[in-house]
Amino acid sequence: MSSTERTINRLLLGAALLVLILSFAVYVAYALNLMQFPFDYDQGEGFELVDTVLFSQGRFPYLDTNVYPFYSSNYPPLFHVIAAPSVWLFGDAYWYGRFLGFLGTLVTAGAIAFAVYRDGGHHKWIAALSGLAFLASNTVYHIGPLFRQHMTMVMFETLAVVVLAHANEIEDTGGRRRSIFAGLALVMAAGYTKQLALATAVGVFMFLFIRQPRRAVVWALGFALVGGAIFLWMNIATSGQWWLQTITANVNDYYPDQTVGLFRLWFSLHGFLLVPATLYAVYELYFSRLSVYTIWFVASLGTAVLSGKWGAGDSYFATSIAALCILSGLFASRTLNRSWTFPQNYLSRLFIFPFRSLAPALGTLGMVVIPLLYVGYGRATLHLPTNEPLFAPLATLFGVEANAQNGFYDSAGRIAGGYADIGHFVTAADIEAGWRIVDLVRATEKPVLSEDAAFNLLAGKQVITNPTQLLNLANGGHFDSAALIAMIQGQEFGLVIFRAQFYPIDVLQAIARNYEQTESVTMNGFEYLILQPRGNS
Amino acid sequence: MLSNHFTLTKRHLGLLLLIGGAAAFVAILAIDIVDVGREGGIGPAQQIALGASVLVALVGLTLIPIGSQDA
Repeated sequence: MSSTERTINRLLLGAALLVLILSFAVYVAYALNLMQFPFDYDQGEGFELVDTVLFSQGRFPYLDTNVYPFYSSNYPPLFHVIAAPSVWLFGDAYWYGRFLGFLGTLVTAGAIAFAVYRDGGHHKWIAALSGLAFLASNTVYHIGPLFRQHMTMVMFETLAVVVLAHANEIEDTGGRRRSIFAGLALVMAAGYTKQLALATAVGVFMFLFIRQPRRAVVWALGFALVGGAIFLWMNIATSGQWWLQTITANVNDYYPDQTVGLFRLWFSLHGFLLVPATLYAVYELYFSRLSVYTIWFVASLGTAVLSGKWGAGDSYFATSIAALCILSGLFASRTLNRSWTFPQNYLSRLFIFPFRSLAPALGTLGMVVIPLLYVGYGRATLHLPTNEPLFAPLATLFGVEANAQNGFYDSAGRIAGGYADIGHFVTAADIEAGWRIVDLVRATEKPVLSEDAAFNLLAGKQVITNPTQLLNLANGGHFDSAALIAMIQGQEFGLVIFRAQFYPIDVLQAIARNYEQTESVTMNGFEYLILQPRGNS
Repeated sequence: MLSNHFTLTKRHLGLLLLIGGAAAFVAILAIDIVDVGREGGIGPAQQIALGASVLVALVGLTLIPIGSQDA
């Protein structure tokens, strides 16, 4: 490599780093903004807080939804258990759950950078770019700093594959067993954080099986025994509600168009890294040994296919994004280190060896193209507030205009159902609007049926119902709405607060018959409808 | 296969993928045969699954000639 090539390469890598550091700065600002917002930002956050509160009291949140307060969680417990001590210290608040989610993405990015550095020939720049690329993804940005368990699952998944990547090759028996045990414990942690980690478990065991079938079978038996025992214990302890609420209720209608649309969005945002990641996976398949990263990437696409379920969405691609950041990083490192090797086989004789004379020129080309891929990725995933003090001058400089609410530009957008319209910063007016609704809740002595948990929690009232979970159950014929409808008909709720009207149809009809809208409050882009008992308002 | 040093080769993996892909293809088609009350023929989700199973089988087929290289 000539000094000119090296200089150009370093300059371009510096430019790529700058672009992704800017994206990281936006991410940190967004996380700090959300941590100061005391209400639900994304649908369902408040119910994750309720789950955390219940665990902090030593209670399971897997409850019978047919009886008052008609509440249950539909997620596994680990994220909420991790957050539970914060309830003892800080009370009911959203910031610590959001902080945990944010922290999880930083750990994931660190693990990606470490994997690329360790397995990609110790290229520091590419390792850093790979970690930052994960955080720059619109999907990761959107859901990272939420009080949701998804990114904590991705963190455990990523740590698991990084630990297991070379575990089979450890000569010392004790060391090997400890590594495999740690890796599988992390897979188990991911699974008990969110059910979608099943794909990673499948990928990991496929990898172990390919490398050493006997060992894989033995460990799989132990894994199934421990995982099954925990599952059984929780099911018995909750009188079967664990199975009903977390497994049965999650079998929802599937819309193929939603999956296709979200795949298109995923490709349009991550294509610059997806192409090299796929090329690297093909390289391993035909010319090298399959790594856990490639198998994990393929398995993660199985989760992405499920994104067409009702209630699913772009978050289902987060695991694949972590995997593609590692694979593209390995591709980039190999190219810049010029360390591609091709063994003799029919494919190398057909497609590689005839073009060997082009290798030096391709190597030089790679010095320019690789950094430009990361620059292109930074542009494809660009998201930026256009009216915040630090970012407004940049937005003006680059001619970026807001295309989302509260003066936010986001290159991602809704092209299919299941896309979360979030990422914008919240304002003082949003917070003021939230407290206005809390005041309304406080003003009634009766319980309040609210689609967001925050208003009841902040007013010191019990949270009643988890609407989407009731809808999940109702769609599958597992919810008896009689008791809830009787309370609505008796006007036992002082207020009803709608955000998206995700209650089961018969519940919505009962509310329409017995309550009427008296006010609407706009917060965070949503119009919250305030309904009072008919005849009383 | 039960040895501590046994590892799958590209040929083994190719055969597994070929058999798995073919079996999945037949199983997906069989859904309509077993569940005769279904309406609408092969739906979009089934079409995606059929395409994926064909792809898996083809990948398996192309791996078999590579032979004894470690998978």
